[in-house]
Amino acid sequence: MAETAAEEPRARRRGPRSDWVPLGAAAAAVALLVTAWPLLNALLPGSDSVSSGSPVPVGSAGAYEASLTFPQEGWVLDTGASQAGRTYRFSRGPVELTLNKVTPVTDPPPDALELWEGMRRLIRAGEASARLGEPEAIATRDGHEGLTGILESRTQRGAAVVYPSPDGRMAVEMTLAGRDATTADLAAVADVVRSVSFTREGG
Amino acid sequence: MNPGADEPRARGARDAPGTAPGPVPSPRRSDQDGTAARRPAGTPAAGAHARRHRLPSVTALVLVGALCAVGLAFLAARFAGMVRVFSAEAVTALVLALATLAFGFWVLCRIRPVRDPAAGPSLTALAWGLAAATAAGVVANEGLLSVWAKSLGLDFAGSWGPALTAPLNEEVLKLAGVVLVAVAFPHALRGPVDGFVFGSLTGLGFEVTENFIYAMNAVVQAGGTSGVVAVVQSTIVRVFLAGLGSHWAMSAVAGAAVGLLAAAGWRPGRRRAAGAGLLVGLAVALHWLVDAPAPGGMGGLLSKVAVVFLTTMVVYFAFRRTYRRRVRGALASEGGTLGMRRSEATALATRHGRRRELVRVAAPQRPAALRRQEQMLAVAEDRAARYAP
Repeated sequence: MAETAAEEPRARRRGPRSDWVPLGAAAAAVALLVTAWPLLNALLPGSDSVSSGSPVPVGSAGAYEASLTFPQEGWVLDTGASQAGRTYRFSRGPVELTLNKVTPVTDPPPDALELWEGMRRLIRAGEASARLGEPEAIATRDGHEGLTGILESRTQRGAAVVYPSPDGRMAVEMTLAGRDATTADLAAVADVVRSVSFTREGG
Repeated sequence: MNPGADEPRARGARDAPGTAPGPVPSPRRSDQDGTAARRPAGTPAAGAHARRHRLPSVTALVLVGALCAVGLAFLAARFAGMVRVFSAEAVTALVLALATLAFGFWVLCRIRPVRDPAAGPSLTALAWGLAAATAAGVVANEGLLSVWAKSLGLDFAGSWGPALTAPLNEEVLKLAGVVLVAVAFPHALRGPVDGFVFGSLTGLGFEVTENFIYAMNAVVQAGGTSGVVAVVQSTIVRVFLAGLGSHWAMSAVAGAAVGLLAAAGWRPGRRRAAGAGLLVGLAVALHWLVDAPAPGGMGGLLSKVAVVFLTTMVVYFAFRRTYRRRVRGALASEGGTLGMRRSEATALATRHGRRRELVRVAAPQRPAALRRQEQMLAVAEDRAARYAP
């Protein structure tokens, strides 16, 4: 890869290329990357239907794996807005269910109330007008305890839920809402937030 | 070439090597800010040459400025909510980022052989990496990651998405910045050594902003609890464990390719074009290795960092050796015309050698001696860049 003086006569003979060429190439490359991928993404369909009754793994940490089992038909997964093992966005009509798996970094891990407070701040960071109400106890269908409360913002109203895993090494946080969702829409699928399970890995 | 044949000679240079009294020939400007032409001033083509560069240079600078401003606004809007709510975490991340930036900038300027790069192009490269490339990377990466998730499935995209996305998008975006620096400052980026340095500075800027983004993401990943701990942990991993084999290194390798092309007036022969292509391909491959899901764990991370760093050093020392040899040759012939001993003239090729020579000059004469050293270096580097020692 050493520079070769032998090539110099060629450049001298034909003269240097105009600086507009590399300038145009650089600008075109930037423009292409920031437009082509979002455009291609917008053109691709990105919804996978999720069958009811089958657990959907949503992440693992520590000794446990978390999964979500939909009680109703009609839920679809927005694959473009989801990241395996971290973030999942489901929808059913006007209702949107966003699930985040979080992994606390401290030992001992935070309790449910501290996780609720963290989620309250994260939701406010995402949307300035969003507020979480006071938390109440909730339990999954397996009897695993967590906290739930009302989620309100200028654009939507729904519920938020957090479940720490049994060893506290991760937590599942969910919001169930939708800009166009009515109270009846939300009530019809409200039990989905109780369908989280924690399974001991390898057990 | 007969060194300095078209230049006036300095006399009486025997007293202090490299610090001869009287005018040292300065056929070219000693600054590297890109305003000087590549040809010797005074030659008939110099004016036309400068005019040929002027408009593209100004356009490139305007483009860099505009895209950096847009990028900064995009990033500010993107993270305004997190900064507002998690202000302690954001300040911690910012302080750590600025410390990384300051240290990295100092080190990467010092790795340029002979003398530090000029401030203008260095800061331009840094700004491109800090704002324009990072913001464009966020947009492009999100788009392509979603494409992979939709077309290859969520699980596959979760494992391989980063390796199939970041190397392509980010290396090209950073490389575009090095090309723009080369066009904006044609006198500052004239060979692979310059490309390596400006590439590394572009990569450093990218790395620093990415560190901030990752730190904010770590707060989200931690569920908004113990955010400062999450920020510090993220920084330790990215700077202290992975820092040696990160963006600065990969962009330095790719940037050297830009230097190869710029040195040939953007009209490379087959071998040079192939060499440039190999360097860019190598940078993309190194980035792919870093983002690949295997080997995992701490051992995997450290082995990847070692491969990236060592490969980068091989590229660096190969170009550095060639460049220093050329500069020493140019200094020797330049010094010969001034009546300096070869060893005295070639000593000026290093920072240490120049300091040593300056110490031997009486204090009142040091500013003038320093100026003459810089003029000799400017001439020598100019000749080295034109492969005509």
